[in-house]
Amino acid sequence: MRWFETPNFNFTGSRKIAYVVSAVLILISVGAIISKGLQYGIDFKGGKEFVLEFDQPINVVEVRSSLGEPLGSVPEVKLFGSESDILIRTDNEDEINEVQTRIMNTLSEVFPDNPATVIKTDVVGPRFAEDLKSGALQAVIYAIVIIFIYIMVRFRNWTFSAGAVAALIHDVVITLGVFTILSDVVDFSLQIDQNIIAAFLTIVGYSLNDTVVVFDRIRENSNVHKGMDYIPMVNKSLNDTLSRTVITSVTTLFVVLVLFIFGGEVLKGFSFALIIGIILGTYSSLFVASALVVELKGDK
Amino acid sequence: MQGNGLKIGFIIAFLVLTTWYLIPSIQWSLEQNYIEELSTSEAAQYREDNAAKLQDLRDNKLSLGLDLQGGMHVTLEVGTAQLIQELAGEDRDSLLTNVIQEARTNAIEQDLDFIDEMVRIFEERDPNARLSRYYRNDAMNITRRSTNQEIAQFLKTQRQSALDRAIEIIRSRVDRFGVTEPSILKQGTNRIIVELPGVEDKERVRNLLKGTARLEFRLAADAQEFGNFIQQSYNYFDQLAQDTTAQSDSVAGANMFDMLLPSDSPYVFGYAEARDTSAVYDIIRQPEIQRMMPRNTTLMWSANPFPTETGGELFQLIGVRTQVELTGDVIEDASIQFDPATNVPEVSMSMNSEGARKWGRITGANIGKPVAIVLDGYVFSYPNVQNKISNGRSSITGLDGVAEAEDLVNILLSGALPAPLDIIEERTVGATLGEASINAGLNSVLYGLMIVAIFMIIYYRTGGGIADLALLLNIIFILGILAAFKATLTLPGIAGIVLTIGMAVDANVLIFDRIREEQRTGKTIKASIEAGYANAMSAIIDANVTTFFVALILFSFGVGPIKGFAVTLMAGIVSSLFSAIVITRVIVDYLSRTKQDAVSFG
Repeated sequence: MRWFETPNFNFTGSRKIAYVVSAVLILISVGAIISKGLQYGIDFKGGKEFVLEFDQPINVVEVRSSLGEPLGSVPEVKLFGSESDILIRTDNEDEINEVQTRIMNTLSEVFPDNPATVIKTDVVGPRFAEDLKSGALQAVIYAIVIIFIYIMVRFRNWTFSAGAVAALIHDVVITLGVFTILSDVVDFSLQIDQNIIAAFLTIVGYSLNDTVVVFDRIRENSNVHKGMDYIPMVNKSLNDTLSRTVITSVTTLFVVLVLFIFGGEVLKGFSFALIIGIILGTYSSLFVASALVVELKGDK
Repeated sequence: MQGNGLKIGFIIAFLVLTTWYLIPSIQWSLEQNYIEELSTSEAAQYREDNAAKLQDLRDNKLSLGLDLQGGMHVTLEVGTAQLIQELAGEDRDSLLTNVIQEARTNAIEQDLDFIDEMVRIFEERDPNARLSRYYRNDAMNITRRSTNQEIAQFLKTQRQSALDRAIEIIRSRVDRFGVTEPSILKQGTNRIIVELPGVEDKERVRNLLKGTARLEFRLAADAQEFGNFIQQSYNYFDQLAQDTTAQSDSVAGANMFDMLLPSDSPYVFGYAEARDTSAVYDIIRQPEIQRMMPRNTTLMWSANPFPTETGGELFQLIGVRTQVELTGDVIEDASIQFDPATNVPEVSMSMNSEGARKWGRITGANIGKPVAIVLDGYVFSYPNVQNKISNGRSSITGLDGVAEAEDLVNILLSGALPAPLDIIEERTVGATLGEASINAGLNSVLYGLMIVAIFMIIYYRTGGGIADLALLLNIIFILGILAAFKATLTLPGIAGIVLTIGMAVDANVLIFDRIREEQRTGKTIKASIEAGYANAMSAIIDANVTTFFVALILFSFGVGPIKGFAVTLMAGIVSSLFSAIVITRVIVDYLSRTKQDAVSFG
């Protein structure tokens, strides 16, 4: 079987359209992030989270309203994977023992025929959350700096570094935007926690992977076809590697989809980030990274 | 292709090595399956007979993270500010207290070292003042002349040793509690990470880890003086209550009588229900009340309530001396006893000789008066001294069941923490959720593998089949590497493996696509293979090195499960590079030599 055996798409020629598409996506994302704020999970916000398993399916709305009074404020309640598991998130600052007892007592009064057990708890103190947040931020910044340096050293040209880094910032910002916009729409948690940061760095690695393969071909072609103009050569390189780009994206996407469907509730947000990231990463390595190299290099 | 002998030898060696590291994990799961089929008594017998072997397997198997096997992860923080404050002892004044408080806020907000910040603020307030006036310590060679820098160094040493001591104490408590495979690690300058697999009773563990177990023996307040104080205060509340009617926004006077019930005992200020205790305490803290309080006296709540006739529960507010006569340091041994009459558990303690002597003196001088036994700021009991106790025995009664008594014995025997510990992060996963996570993880690995394998065969024919074989070996390699480095497999770690499957084929895709390209230029299959591998190499290396960097950064900055993810990603990159470049090359070479017609890249 062969896909894209000798493709000849005009990627560089359509880069202006791609700029508009990317600019619009980034604007929407940044707009959403500014207006709504990043939806931090308890890792970065602090708080208490309980996952309860009930004997039978449970009504989320009733749980939410019944817990408002004992917890001092209405907690966030969501289904967790199945109809009878729920996740309760509260910022009540009392002792964990006490908060748990209060929740369990209230629920056993409200739902006497549907007993629950606690199957997971997460408590993160506000200060610890700050530490985690700054650690995650540092990780992302260092990753970008090191990648910039490595590509500059390997390709002996800062325009490649700039193109690659711009492409992956593009991918991360838009993924963050998707998370922010969809966080209230989907029925699984899209809050930003440590797992999501890991997913983002994986996206960074993945997007880079694609970009580097294209750059590598540009480097090779510029040695082989010395007389060729720069823009057609970049376009040729994109077409040369297109088959590989698509095949790898498709196989990785398969795997991540499997993770999304069968990986369990805990990995839902993580694999969702990867799905978005892989699609964006493929797009950005075709239309953003190389296009920027072309722009920065001028029409030589 | 002369080098292939060496390559094959290398592949086999790597395979043998990784399999070798996986054997204990396989044996362990076989043993577990076997034990599961035995009856409870047979299983216990079998475990006992094979204890050494099982322990050995357990030590060498690929260990699972708490998110996969269930258990509790707790991060504790040593209260440095409190430690530093207490080190100053009797010498501390409002200046120092102020400085410490400000340093604490700054240290948290700006992520600074607390001790450095404290010295900075102190010098800012008064450039000529010396911290040495608070921290003289002959043993550590800290005199009045010591510079502030020397003091900072001294305090850092103290903080370090407090952390080390806290870890020792936590370890001893956890061991006594009986958890298999606990892990207790130091993190940074003031944090401790405790991982307890399979723990069910979270509440008990929380109390066990946090309990400073500051045991104090104090004299009760003077009956005469305290009685007067109670009288005066109640009169004052009366007064307030009357004022309130005139002036509706006046403070809490009338409420006080709703919350606080008077008592007959000259040592008890009053009774209150649990929900009112903090409100009552706030009112007592008012300067008006504090002014009436007898010298050297303070109020403390009783640890356990007693039931009322109407079904409520009341706590006592007890008057005790501020001075501590004896602390838990003198306790040498502690054990659970049961009151022969009621069968209620209590903790009986014996003291060392110095403690026994003091205890004898204290009890001898206070016959007929109560002595309060205070634990972590709550009065557990205040028995009347019947006669002088010279053998150093005492006991804590009024405990809430056997579990509490057991934990108290544990804490007393492990020693008191040098400073209070705060739980700043806690994560628990139930065993059933852990099992569900393993299944979900394993299923996704399996399905992911299958889909990719089928796709590769359809798309690249023989080449795809070879890549699939490499992929299979790849998974053995990754698990073997993880076991060899004693890494822990977490749920994000499994996600890392799934992802590696996707990425592992990337190198092969690059190579095979390149071979196809070379074939299109009219080269023979052999030459195409040669050129394909050679030309794809730089892209493969660059792509994998950059991803490896990202994984390395994740590893250095991430904690807990994220570290696990980073480790599997790194192991995955190394082994997939190896299997994609070396293994597939050997097979492709072999096939292209012997059955040229069979080799096809689709």
